Amino acid sequence: MWRVVNRELRRIWHSPRYLAILTLAAVLSFVFFATMTQEGQPQKLHVGVVDLDHSYLSRRLCHELEATQGVTVAAVYDNHTEARLAMQRGEIFAFYEIPAGTYNELLQFHAPRFSLYTNQSYLLAGSLSYRQLATMGKLAAGAVQREVLRKKGYKDDAIMGLIQPVALETHAIGNTKASYCIYLMTTLIPGIIALLALLHTAYVIGRERQERTVKSWMRKAGGDALKAMWGKALPYTCYYSMLLLLANFIMYGPMGMPLEGSWLLLALHSMLLIVAGQSAAMFLMGCVPDPSVAMSLTSAYATLSFTMCGFSFPVDAMPLPMQSFSLMFPLRHYFLAMRDIAFFGNGFETCWPQTAALTAFWLLSLIGAAMLNRQYERRLAC
Amino acid sequence: MLKRITGNLKDTWDVFAAEVRRVFGDKTTVVIFFLATVVYPPLYYYIYHLEMLTEMPVAVVDLSQGRDAKRFVHKLDATPELTVAYRCANIGDAEQLLREHSVKAIFLVPKDYDALIAHQRTGTVTVVTDISSFIYYKNALMGGSNVLLDEMKTTQLAFQAAEGVTGEEARTQIEPVAYDDVKLYNPGGGYASYFIPALLMLVVHQTLFFGICVLCGDANENRKALRLIPPRLRSRSVYRVTLGRLLCFLFIYIPITLLDLWIIPYLFGMPQLGRPTEVMLLVLPYVIAITCFAMTLGNIFARERMSMLLCCLFFSVILFFLSGVVWPQSNMPRFWYVFSYLFPSTPGIQGFVRISSMGATLHEVRHELLALWMQAGVYFASACLSIRFIKHFSR
Repeated sequence: MWRVVNRELRRIWHSPRYLAILTLAAVLSFVFFATMTQEGQPQKLHVGVVDLDHSYLSRRLCHELEATQGVTVAAVYDNHTEARLAMQRGEIFAFYEIPAGTYNELLQFHAPRFSLYTNQSYLLAGSLSYRQLATMGKLAAGAVQREVLRKKGYKDDAIMGLIQPVALETHAIGNTKASYCIYLMTTLIPGIIALLALLHTAYVIGRERQERTVKSWMRKAGGDALKAMWGKALPYTCYYSMLLLLANFIMYGPMGMPLEGSWLLLALHSMLLIVAGQSAAMFLMGCVPDPSVAMSLTSAYATLSFTMCGFSFPVDAMPLPMQSFSLMFPLRHYFLAMRDIAFFGNGFETCWPQTAALTAFWLLSLIGAAMLNRQYERRLAC
Repeated sequence: MLKRITGNLKDTWDVFAAEVRRVFGDKTTVVIFFLATVVYPPLYYYIYHLEMLTEMPVAVVDLSQGRDAKRFVHKLDATPELTVAYRCANIGDAEQLLREHSVKAIFLVPKDYDALIAHQRTGTVTVVTDISSFIYYKNALMGGSNVLLDEMKTTQLAFQAAEGVTGEEARTQIEPVAYDDVKLYNPGGGYASYFIPALLMLVVHQTLFFGICVLCGDANENRKALRLIPPRLRSRSVYRVTLGRLLCFLFIYIPITLLDLWIIPYLFGMPQLGRPTEVMLLVLPYVIAITCFAMTLGNIFARERMSMLLCCLFFSVILFFLSGVVWPQSNMPRFWYVFSYLFPSTPGIQGFVRISSMGATLHEVRHELLALWMQAGVYFASACLSIRFIKHFSR
């Protein structure tokens, strides 16, 4: 097997282009997600106000909105249509519509109503701006109530209990500030590096076929397809594992992402993720004889793993066949293990099914090797 | 003059015909162009078709056991987002359930909850939630705050009644200003309606891009890039070669986009507010821009059949984030915002989402259209130049 490793290292030495490009790809992805989501949650989302009332109240509302961290008033519109068009142009994600005479009605205690429109086709921006504007609406109502109660002679501390008899306090486990940076990076970065490892392995195996060097490759491995495959993949296993460990180290170290559990356990799963991805690549490359078609299928499989790992849309909300299908993706198991180790601080006693599943992917490489062996022998026979 | 025009047309036609033969003669491009575009959209639709997570299991620790607390728990169970799967006697048991992932959130009602409310002080319910997927967090928050609002109203009405204020007057007292909330374009906040339109455009972008790169890589790898240009065009202007190839991909991709962006959404009942003509007017510059973009990069960088697929596949994830559907464009760092306009996917996805999910007309997406046509123009020129690069390289 070492002869194959040696041969592969020599090949890398002669054309290190792809290794360099793919390393750059990993670095680019890391920097991209780290800088893109550095705010944690989108701040100062653009919203609008349709002011038909032109009163103290509507101006006050604009000021209050401006003062919040979450939204900023991008424009004040004269009518509904203008605001809707602005929304369709993507300039604002939500707007308040304050009908004419609102302030007068308020003074007369006629319980005026205004409307809050949010654009839900951008799920994140829509729901965040909705939450912010709805809170403002409640605060406005609370402020009026407080004034009334003060005039009735209530003390301020008693007023609070009357205005807000019930409150909710939220704690998110691990990611306490509900930061998108932590949420995205902890899964996407390992996912991308595993994708690079998987593709690179698939590529180098396919390359042997394309260059018609399978014979010399197999001869180095003494005719054992499994040794040939893993000998070829081993340099990449080491390299991408190192890359992933480094990325994880930066994320959980200097970047301060939460790691409640054992660092060693996370490192183990990171390496298993790389190996599992490579095994899947060997399986696909072994089963599909045409290297280019096999590579396209591998790409399709690798891209799907971001959806099927269930970090954005949970697997429990997918149809039942898809829930089983999700087990076919190493990233799914890594995601589950990472959640347990990093966020919940669970140990091996909870995440062992994932460890076992990731290890079991290795069996796929046996099938891939068997297929390769058969093709090789058939070629030898003719 | 006439002869020159017909000559040019003939040249373009020759390149077009040769390219069509090449596409259909290559197994990989057939897989990418015709299999991926047909399989991906329905598959993704199937994955997301339940739109959202309902009845997420939660555990409740009710230490108060009072009337108000019981009503709170009852209402939690009644929300579409949550279902009370376990009632625990202490926080330790609930934590254990959360650690085992039997529940996704814990609602803790403190011992003094009822007493505080009776004394007209604020009673606080604590929620501890799993945030490994944001949907869990959102469900816990939405379900919890909907119950909270309702409970606030109920309690306040009881306070008012104790003071002898009832009916309309009491309602005005506790809600002096009210608002109606209208959720536009995706009223249920469903995941499929949000994700699929953007995804469809990305599938078109990525399949076309990689397909063309495979063809360019194939030509470069076998040193036949020059041979693929008809001999009489080699020494002369190369725009006819680019034009002929562009027409070939338009010819193949216009029906595919029609299928992916119009027929499949129609069959699966996805949001489809725009008119087909508007979608097609957006798609035309989109396909031209992608084709020329891919030819430029393919001619210069694709040294082998698979090299672009190997090096650029990871970029699909980044392209999706650059499009501004997840992370709003107004919140991107300036550099990434400008960078995102190098790729046709950004204006393409933005334009399509607005037309088909939000019912915008071409007038509202004019910036995106302009960006796409500019990209088409610039990348057409660069594609022509990149052929010169091949000629230079091959010599």
